[in-house]
Amino acid sequence: MSSGLAILAVDDEPRALTDIKRLLETSASVERVATATSAKEALVYLSGGRYDALFLDVAMPEIEGMALARLLRRFADPPAVVFLTGHPDAAVEAFEVQALDFLVKPVTRERLESALTRVEQHVRGAEAAKSAPGGEGAEAMVTGPDVVAVDNPKGGGKRLVRLETISFAQANGDYARIVCDDGRFLLRTPLSQLEKDWGPSGFARVHRAYLVNLKHAVELRAQLNGTAVLIMRDDTEIPVARRNVAALRRRLHA
Amino acid sequence: MQDPIQGRADGSSPVSVHFVNNVLAAAASYIEEEPDTARDVLAELGAFLSHRLRGPRMVTTAEELEHVGVYLRLEQARFPGRLEVELPAARDLPQARIQPGEVQAPLSQAIERWLRQKPGRVRVALRARGDALDLQLDRPDEPGQAGERLRIALGVATARSTT
Repeated sequence: MSSGLAILAVDDEPRALTDIKRLLETSASVERVATATSAKEALVYLSGGRYDALFLDVAMPEIEGMALARLLRRFADPPAVVFLTGHPDAAVEAFEVQALDFLVKPVTRERLESALTRVEQHVRGAEAAKSAPGGEGAEAMVTGPDVVAVDNPKGGGKRLVRLETISFAQANGDYARIVCDDGRFLLRTPLSQLEKDWGPSGFARVHRAYLVNLKHAVELRAQLNGTAVLIMRDDTEIPVARRNVAALRRRLHA
Repeated sequence: MQDPIQGRADGSSPVSVHFVNNVLAAAASYIEEEPDTARDVLAELGAFLSHRLRGPRMVTTAEELEHVGVYLRLEQARFPGRLEVELPAARDLPQARIQPGEVQAPLSQAIERWLRQKPGRVRVALRARGDALDLQLDRPDEPGQAGERLRIALGVATARSTT
């Protein structure tokens, strides 16, 4: 990228806005930061200049962050949206309006940088799509999914699970059982669909019943009968079907 | 996003995650410009959490009023210049033993909702009325506009937990 990112931060809490502005300004990937204390003010900024991303508070008077994000999706060339929230549960809704990321206040520098990296990737993807012949394949160039909404066993509702925290998914009829750092969840999606969706994010189907996050795998152990066992970070052993062993070995050694 | 207001099994009120996170964000924002303010905000948040997270116990109305005062100062740190506060004198309070958060929880629900919905300043007045406390919220900059009233009965959580 030739120049740094232009960010518009929007929050009705003046101190929270001061904090995020300062953090953004001290990041090497950011060129300029504008701030607005309401969605209305944000729209004025957006009509007057080009921003790569909005860092948007979820709960604001009059027009809430979520409503502004929905409105932005009608723009021809909308800026990326990163939500800021005081409440982790708000993330589920953020996911539904296709936000690039969600940050829980107060934000650590590390977490902010990872959000900015995604904004950069998003901007690069959009630029590449624009210059490519046809130009319409933008979606595929832009970041793939990195969170998935699962049923929350505690108290109903949904909760978000980051793909990177998932160790593997196990087929369970039309459902998939997700095993991740935070526990186990059931997802109403067949494994074949998850394989398509998560393949680009580093997941591999090693067995009819198992889709594995290869970043969580530590060892491939061959068995005498030609199959293999994949050992995960947490010592879980995942069976690898005979016909998948060779391809998996190549992929892990690559 | 609203936190649940239902009490816990022991009758006490849960602490709002949203509130705690936003206070911490406000504290972070003061660190460079006003380190003393940042320190005060953290100390007040510590007092706020201690009142609520200590084991199940009953407190006096005076202790709860102090807790409300701490809460309101934290809101003032989040929203500088937006809250005007009037609290009753401790001697005017009804004598009762209540659950920690019994006054603060409904009061903060009303104030958070107000701040989320209406821009500008808000005047927060809490007054003792017999066995209850009356909360009155107004817009000092628009005196004609209707405000909000809320009666906070004391000892309700106690009565509920003993039946």
